[in-house]
Amino acid sequence: MAESVKVLPEEIQELIDVREWDLRTREGVQRFRELRAKSLPSIAMDGELIYESLIPGQEELCEEIRRRYQTGS
Amino acid sequence: MKLKNEENRYVYKTQGVCPPEIHFRIREDFLEDVRFVGGGCPGNAQLVSRLVAGQPIDSVLAQLDGITCRNDTSCPDQLSKAIAAARCGNLAPAASFEVFTDSQPRHSIALIGELEGRSHVLSTLIPEMRESGVEAICCVGNLTGTSGNNTDILRHAKKERLLAVQGEQDRQYAFGEESRDLPSLYQKERDYLLRLPQVLSFQIGEKQAMAFFGEYIMQLHGFSDFEPFALEMNMVCNLSCFLQDETVFPALEAMTPQFGAQVVIFSQPQRWGHWELGGVNFISLGKSCEADKLAWGLLQGHGEKIDFQVRRISLP
Repeated sequence: MAESVKVLPEEIQELIDVREWDLRTREGVQRFRELRAKSLPSIAMDGELIYESLIPGQEELCEEIRRRYQTGS
Repeated sequence: MKLKNEENRYVYKTQGVCPPEIHFRIREDFLEDVRFVGGGCPGNAQLVSRLVAGQPIDSVLAQLDGITCRNDTSCPDQLSKAIAAARCGNLAPAASFEVFTDSQPRHSIALIGELEGRSHVLSTLIPEMRESGVEAICCVGNLTGTSGNNTDILRHAKKERLLAVQGEQDRQYAFGEESRDLPSLYQKERDYLLRLPQVLSFQIGEKQAMAFFGEYIMQLHGFSDFEPFALEMNMVCNLSCFLQDETVFPALEAMTPQFGAQVVIFSQPQRWGHWELGGVNFISLGKSCEADKLAWGLLQGHGEKIDFQVRRISLP
């Protein structure tokens, strides 16, 4: 999942800050529970859980990031 | 190696003296919390501990070195050797929690949850468990508690060679931090509790098993998420809230391939339960003394197959 974010085009990378959480750590588990996630892998944007258990295609991911950037949400 | 401004806890295995271990801390080149554990003259040992508490290690070394009692050494002499070893880096700081590995592969093991000082419960359960043909008896909950005779139960546990895992209450007793409503214990019994491991590792059938009490272990000084069995504890205590939050079971299943154990036993919630997720058996031990019955768990392993049953008997 992290890889799919890392390989996003540069213009998208410039719009986002990426933080990867490791579920092996207590900090990662705490964040996982805060987001009310249920399964792995998961992607949250702006503190909101967006994708669970599935790795979105690059196009879909870019579209969601652009949409959020434009609406400022 | 010069010790830096950090607090380290050490456990030194002695040679030639009565106590098998000396526990101590070094904070900024000062000695703290010295404890001669597991034998010897408790009065003299406590005196030495008090006299050296808060002293610079240089002056302590000069005072203790070369004192003889037996075998050409003594408790103070062993302490000086321990400090010297810590100082030069030959003695590594103790791990945040201790894992005891049972060397004998097992096929049938008895599991006891919270005993809380009820010596009579242990006396009643042991013949019942032995009759079931178990090879070992493992106690994972607190041995001590408010409701019984803690001295009796600790002597009994030692005599029966129980594979005991330290509960949170037991740990407080070990450090003299128990609440005031609990009966006092002799140093000998506190030492027994101090030497109990926080994690028991054993083989059942062809599966690797681990047993622990609960979340206090992850709060111990120096605990790392990447120590052996830390992942199992984190997943049980923090991710799944002791397997009570079923919504995270998919995530738990995704993590089990990274586990070191395929049987994970815990006792903090004091509720009987058995789940099989991602090829791992999770077992929650309930109270040993229920309303009108006594309860224990029978864990059996034959090859890859694991069977767990809760056995109950009426109170005599």
